Amino acid sequence: MSVQRGGLGRVTHIIGEGLEGRIANRHLALFGLGFVGLFFVLPILLLIPESLSLGSTTPFESYRRVMNGIYVDAFVRSFLYGFVTTGVTLALAYMLSYFLAFSTERVRTAMILIIVPLWIAYIVRYFGILLFLSPAGPLADVTGFETDLLFTTPAVIIGLANVYLPFAVLPIYNSLNAIDEELVNASRVLGAGKWRTITKVIFPLSLPGLVAAGLIVFILAAGSFLGPAVLGGPKQTMIANVIAQAFLDNFNIQFASALAIVYTVLLVGLLLVFNTLFDLQEVLGNI
Amino acid sequence: MLEVDTFTKYYGELCAVEDLSFRIEEGEFVTLLGPSGCGKSTTLHAIAGLVEPTDGRIRLRGTDVTDLPPEKRNIGMAFQSTALFPHMTVRENIAYGLKMHGYSAADVEDRVEESLELVDMPDHGDHKPGELSGGQQQRVSLARSLAYEPDILLLDEPLTGLDRVLREEMRGWLNRIQREVNVTTLYVTHDQEDALSMSDKVVVLNDGQAQQIDSPERIYESPATPFVAEFVGKSTQFTGTVTHENGQAVVYNDKKRITLPDSSIDDDQSVSLYVRPEDIEVSPEPTGAENEFRGIVTDIANLGNRAELSATLEDGSTALAHTTRFPDIDIDDDIFLRFPAERVIVL
Repeated sequence: MSVQRGGLGRVTHIIGEGLEGRIANRHLALFGLGFVGLFFVLPILLLIPESLSLGSTTPFESYRRVMNGIYVDAFVRSFLYGFVTTGVTLALAYMLSYFLAFSTERVRTAMILIIVPLWIAYIVRYFGILLFLSPAGPLADVTGFETDLLFTTPAVIIGLANVYLPFAVLPIYNSLNAIDEELVNASRVLGAGKWRTITKVIFPLSLPGLVAAGLIVFILAAGSFLGPAVLGGPKQTMIANVIAQAFLDNFNIQFASALAIVYTVLLVGLLLVFNTLFDLQEVLGNI
Repeated sequence: MLEVDTFTKYYGELCAVEDLSFRIEEGEFVTLLGPSGCGKSTTLHAIAGLVEPTDGRIRLRGTDVTDLPPEKRNIGMAFQSTALFPHMTVRENIAYGLKMHGYSAADVEDRVEESLELVDMPDHGDHKPGELSGGQQQRVSLARSLAYEPDILLLDEPLTGLDRVLREEMRGWLNRIQREVNVTTLYVTHDQEDALSMSDKVVVLNDGQAQQIDSPERIYESPATPFVAEFVGKSTQFTGTVTHENGQAVVYNDKKRITLPDSSIDDDQSVSLYVRPEDIEVSPEPTGAENEFRGIVTDIANLGNRAELSATLEDGSTALAHTTRFPDIDIDDDIFLRFPAERVIVL
């Protein structure tokens, strides 16, 4: 049986014949992996020789300087803020996601409130909070007394939690929404009240979403630059701010690279510890 | 034992169940039978406390449970989806209801083992539900719902989704378990074979209203409404108006004269007549008996133990008859179909 093909159809057919059997899925993967390798892995690896500056007389000088008190403080603060922000964000996101997943009311408006902020630049949102918290801002107008929140740790945590909330809601909502309503019904009929159903059935089944959300928020929050820059003071400096300062203000590429390497190693190390503690494979692959 | 009293449920403007009342006696196996969307599942969920009635009361062992939450009703329920907790082992699933009902740790352990024995799965306690077949999951689901000795067992289409052979096997098995435990059971299904083969009593539902509440035998032999006659079992259908000839009630259906079983029926009444396929006899030659019609065979389906024969009658209507398996008849053959007057269902 012969099929008549004309013009463009014939051309694409010939190209298709030519490619047939030569291009596999793994070839397609090369494009994505190539991009990541070229613009992510390679630049990060370049930081290593840069931070060591092996040719110079003092190759490990930068790393010695990293051990300095103020820099150690910045590291500790980054991870601490990361933990606190993750805790606050997960608690808020879980309650919101629970409402979204199990409320019988229309949830469209609430969902819009979660999605729309994702379209707005971080800087705009941080400045919004800055104005809101400022002594002459709406918060002071409404409450009647001037708060000293601005440029403090709580201000930074509020900002970070606010900005990263949508990243937490989406995975948690997804895992809650995937829970079969019959499981909740079964639990109730088996004699468990609402609260025990949440703790014994709903919460365990939503753990994969919660862990995923926790990882995303922690990584984003610990490496945050704009939050502490806009809402924090000198005592709220996080590691990203220190790196930016070393690189952009002091043009000390060697030191900035050393800070970046140490931060990356610490973060990956922490994730590995987390992995052994919670066994991500188990939690994420359980259901 | 269970009393559903004028139960009504509206979802907004939409009426799911209207004024439904029925009773179940201690130890009975009752089936709610109806097509999807007839309100049977809503009724079952209302008895479990998972759906709030718009109106009506539900009483269990003489206690009004209408306003009690599900966890306070002591009900066992097996779901169509099995609803086994995927993050727990089979043993943990069965223990769940026992723990929630306040059994001591030692009792929980004993009863879990007993329940696993009851459903013939003593070696599967440590498996996760995802590792079991569909039939095994249903058995675990049943074990879980029976472990804490509920007052009543509710079954929500538990056999739907199983293949036919397994389904028939599970029917007998389920009946045996039910008798062994002697638990009052309310079974919901759209499958008439489930309903007729397993129940003491069948409630046929359509559009949220009870059509007939009766024994399976009476549901099949003496349906109360055209809906029941058409939904339960197959039949050949005629319609017409009643007249009397020589003291006999007859219906003329497009020149066909059909004698009715009962002559007391009034003249000029519009009736629907149903004849079950097993009541229709087929032969290649006419016998001159009453209620005999000529037809042309359009289809022969061999069902193994018998054959189901479809024929088009002279007026174009379709008749359905059972014959011996592999009958000496071919498609397009001229045949004669007849049925005794006393087997005609008049509605």
